[in-house]
Amino acid sequence: MMNRFPWFKFGLMIVLGISICVPFIWMTSASFKHRAEVEEINLIPKKPTLDNYPVVLDMKPDPATGRFLGMKFWRWYFNSIFIAAAVTYLQVLTSCMAAYAFSRIQWKWRDRVFLLYLATMMIPGVVTMIPNFQIMVGLDFLNSYHGLILPAAFSTFGTFLMRQFMLSLPPALDEAAMIDGASHWQIFWEVIIPLARPGMIALAIMTFLGVYQSFFWPLIMLNIEDYFTMPVGMLLLDSTYGRQTEYIMAATVLNVVPLIILFCIFQKFLVKGLQLGGVKG
Amino acid sequence: MDGKREKPGFHIPLPAIGFLLPNFIGFLFFVMFPVILSLIMAFTNWTINPGVPLEYVGLRNFNDLLGMHSAIPAAAGHIYASYVSCVILLLAGLILYIWSYLREWEGVKIGGTVACILGLSIIITAFANHVNHGFVLAGIILLLAGIGVSISEKGSWKPGIGIIPSILLVVSISALWFLNKPMWDNFTPNDPRFWKFFYNTVYLMLGTPIGIFGSLALALLLNDRLPESALTKRAVMFLICAGCGFLSLVLGLGSGHGDLGLVIGIIWLIAGLGLAFNVIAYRTIYYLPSFTAGVAIMILWKALYNPQTGPINIGLSYLTGTAIDELPKWLSSFTWAKPSLIFMGTWVGIGGMNMLLYLAALSNVPQDLIDAAEVDGASRWQKFRHITIPQLAPTTFFICIMSVIGGLQGGLEQARVMTGGGPDGATTTLSYYLYNMAFQNLNMGYASAIAWIMFAIIFVATALNWRFGKELEVE
Repeated sequence: MMNRFPWFKFGLMIVLGISICVPFIWMTSASFKHRAEVEEINLIPKKPTLDNYPVVLDMKPDPATGRFLGMKFWRWYFNSIFIAAAVTYLQVLTSCMAAYAFSRIQWKWRDRVFLLYLATMMIPGVVTMIPNFQIMVGLDFLNSYHGLILPAAFSTFGTFLMRQFMLSLPPALDEAAMIDGASHWQIFWEVIIPLARPGMIALAIMTFLGVYQSFFWPLIMLNIEDYFTMPVGMLLLDSTYGRQTEYIMAATVLNVVPLIILFCIFQKFLVKGLQLGGVKG
Repeated sequence: MDGKREKPGFHIPLPAIGFLLPNFIGFLFFVMFPVILSLIMAFTNWTINPGVPLEYVGLRNFNDLLGMHSAIPAAAGHIYASYVSCVILLLAGLILYIWSYLREWEGVKIGGTVACILGLSIIITAFANHVNHGFVLAGIILLLAGIGVSISEKGSWKPGIGIIPSILLVVSISALWFLNKPMWDNFTPNDPRFWKFFYNTVYLMLGTPIGIFGSLALALLLNDRLPESALTKRAVMFLICAGCGFLSLVLGLGSGHGDLGLVIGIIWLIAGLGLAFNVIAYRTIYYLPSFTAGVAIMILWKALYNPQTGPINIGLSYLTGTAIDELPKWLSSFTWAKPSLIFMGTWVGIGGMNMLLYLAALSNVPQDLIDAAEVDGASRWQKFRHITIPQLAPTTFFICIMSVIGGLQGGLEQARVMTGGGPDGATTTLSYYLYNMAFQNLNMGYASAIAWIMFAIIFVATALNWRFGKELEVE
């Protein structure tokens, strides 16, 4: 059926698209402006400058004062990415293993234990946050990588998501492998994991993003700048140099750009994963 | 089902233990144990401060949070009792109201009309007497619910037991109206901040229905693909659009209107992306804010809202010609702080996960239902009302539950990053109050009690959502 081109809809999409983009455009524009110009409304800087980025990254002194800002952004980048990668690896691994036990092995009390997992998903994060902090204090894990990695490495949500995914794989597969004499370990690695890859990628992106952006737990766990993650570092920059909009915006661009790149690469998987986790409820 | 007979006792096969163990240890240590510890903390005066000995305080934390005290307790006891029973009656009336609507009891529509009148009269009296916003809000909610019930296709106009909830509402609301002044003259809450911050939390949640409708609208907009065309044609169209965009930028720069040129250029670019990648391009663009959401985006909006140097106020003053000092101060103004946060939340969330969930649900609407309706001559609105909306009900239900859970816990990051909870506590939510109690005042026991009250509220809200949502789904 040939329809006319829907000009009105198309126009509406474009208008909405540009209104979503406007803050991003202003952010980029402000990060290329001089101090004197940043409070003006023009989007194209009259005298564009690239200096804000090296100043924020602590490679050049602040031209106004001649001093370095002292923001350790490279270190914070590394911390954030390292912690997020470690958590993602551990969480996907433990979630897949537990999901395998919940979906492909028959055992007594299996569904009851799983129900316990589900029930705890309802408990809000604020309830477990304070005692978890106490545990970290007791273990002397403040200002350390493991204090940020370990509590996040086990996820009931990830287990739930992977279990749903594994239940959708046909049971004949592992029965056939079982008849061929494969152990559970072999079935897990050679049959289930390759098939569960789409779900794993979705979980990995969600976990990585969640940890990279997580603000609250690092905020209470860290007070030494060397261990800061990106969001906590941003907060420090904002509270120290909050009046220098051009630096703040340069830092924001530095913060957002890796995410946009990540998003463009993994967009397809992410949509699939959200649908998987959501609709089954 | 593996053919072997299960032995009696606690026999669990070894592989299951092996696979589950790493996760289960973490689960016990970082989920189960903290939950129990938190419950213990809520009944103690737990603090990090080593100087204070740990004591069991019973329900004192909860009483401090939820209780009231009176200067003249003996005289005011009956007012307190009747006020509380009126509130319970009101809640019972509201729940029964939804219930009777779903069960299609006779007289529901009459009840709806009564609720309309009630809501309207509350609003009018509230405005006439300059009463607080809470009553106006309640009146508006009643009015909307009443209109919804009385114009819906369910129920009947015959008098019947469906009127009972409305009678309950009338009685309890008029009693509350008269009891309100004596009650608050005689009683003060032990912790007035808690109630204020609870109100803030609920106020900030007003953004969720806007966000849900917005997400649905965007999903409907992006559901149908634009007309397809061949790859080469798409590439050519994209290049033409990009070229036009570049041209307008150059022209703009040349004629001294660089910003206009830039904006038109970006419009061309977005149009070109749409022609090249179809609706996928717009899904991506709309999803960007929620993908990048975090501290950086909050700091960006803080700069946008800045009353002196932010582009919003500078732009407004440029367009309207008013002085910058007379414009709203957004985040630092008591009236505008909450709407500003809601607006930012809508910008972030409108094209986010909810839109994707709706898109997925829309693509699952069976085509034969729509075809059958078309054969029967249904209009577009009828198709939408009777096919699309019921098919979307499970998704809406899921989104509602998640939004309520998220909303009641929300507001912490915004408050910490953007406003510091101010001005004058206008943007402090329950979770930020909890954070301050636990990590600024180091009063862990009190904070745990707040956490458990939040859990109770979330639990009740989810249970209600679940109970009534399931009924809607069956329809």
